[in-house]
Amino acid sequence: MDYLIVALVAGLAAVERKGFLQAMLSRPVALAPFTGLALGDLHGGLMLGPPLELLWLGAVNLGAALPPQEALGAAAIAGGAVLAGRALGTGVTPAVACLTLALVGTLATLGRTADRAIEEWNVRLAGRADARVAQGELRAAARANLQGLVLPFAVSSCSRPSPPRRRRCSCPPPCGGSPGRSGRSRSAGRRSPGSPPPPAPGPSGPRGASGSSPPSWHSPSSRPAC
Amino acid sequence: MAVSVPAPTLRRVFWRGLLLQAAWNRRGMQNLGFAYAIEPALRVLYPDPALRREALRRHLATFNCHPYMAAAIVGGAIHHEEKVAAGEEPAGAPLKYKEVLQGPLAAVGDGFFWAGLRPFFGALGAVGTLLFGWPALLAAVVAYNAIQLWLRWTFFSAGYRSGDAVVERISALSLPRWAGRLRDAGAALAFAGAALLALAARASDGWGALAVSLLSFGGGWWALSRGARLMPCAYGAMLFGALAGTVLARLGGGP
Repeated sequence: MDYLIVALVAGLAAVERKGFLQAMLSRPVALAPFTGLALGDLHGGLMLGPPLELLWLGAVNLGAALPPQEALGAAAIAGGAVLAGRALGTGVTPAVACLTLALVGTLATLGRTADRAIEEWNVRLAGRADARVAQGELRAAARANLQGLVLPFAVSSCSRPSPPRRRRCSCPPPCGGSPGRSGRSRSAGRRSPGSPPPPAPGPSGPRGASGSSPPSWHSPSSRPAC
Repeated sequence: MAVSVPAPTLRRVFWRGLLLQAAWNRRGMQNLGFAYAIEPALRVLYPDPALRREALRRHLATFNCHPYMAAAIVGGAIHHEEKVAAGEEPAGAPLKYKEVLQGPLAAVGDGFFWAGLRPFFGALGAVGTLLFGWPALLAAVVAYNAIQLWLRWTFFSAGYRSGDAVVERISALSLPRWAGRLRDAGAALAFAGAALLALAARASDGWGALAVSLLSFGGGWWALSRGARLMPCAYGAMLFGALAGTVLARLGGGP
């Protein structure tokens, strides 16, 4: 359920960021607290907003040049950090935030690649609109514009971190989501004592290197349990 | 007898103009968004289907501008379409208007909104959040939107009412000068935000954390000013932080 909320927030942010309104709601400074609020942890989101905004202050869409997808990055980092903090029982600490940034921050770069693909795909919409005008269906031609909102929403909402949901799909119902959670809390016991100052998520290095893709940011030990 | 577009339709066009970039594509860029926005006005101006189709087709030509400044061009295009419908101007006039204005207005809009106003309010929101929590953030977002929506509506109605003269109306606002000031203020605020974050690290984890975060900020700034990419820099800074934290914990005899 929580992951569906993150998906919804990420998708709406992707639409707001380029397609509709552009009212700064999809900037990290506003989006991170909003994601936190949607997940019931406003404070954690507020902690992440300012550093992420400063990180992506220069990510602006000038002309046809595409910046990194800062909205997807912020939603994924804020959502991931809040959920990880809840699973660890510590809330969003600087160490959790750094770990999440290291693991899902590259989604922003992947999001730019996706944006470019979406722009290529939208050429078909333009072609469809031309065809509709030729047929005389003018209102349908104009409405082709709205179909462009679907793809950014879908891409962003599908590419935020979602490991337990995927695992639940692949395993029989009795497993539920609980093995993942117990695995996480076990790794919490291992991690929390050995991480002193904020930018030092002790064991993050090796784990980040081993799990190259975002969905693997949980400890792999929980997988055999299913 | 000239037909003019009624006010509710104008509001509808403005509302639809907020969706200008919904189907941004590589070939026509904002052409679909522009056609979508202006379509209600064309429906009023051209009761004859053949003329209406011709009008919509010319607005499906390639168009790209700053999404806020484009409001002025949408307004101005309606201004010219009214004259075309009344037979006072040739059918190519709205298209020419769009082609002439889209480049200059995009440059002004990119410089003012994207590189000036929004980073300023972003940094303001960040500093406000660090100092006062969510009310300051909410205030920054509301202020930004009040300014941008007001300017968008001003551009739109100025474009509709004055047509070509919208250029003077916009240049009277001297947006580039404001953009320079906002950039300076935004840079100062970003600096303040970084300093506040470093101080927060000191408050929670001592002087070692302050030193590490200052070194990270300084190193990151140095690398970025040399043209390095953002994400590799962030990863380098985090790796450095992790190493330094481990060393500090060893030296301090920590856990």
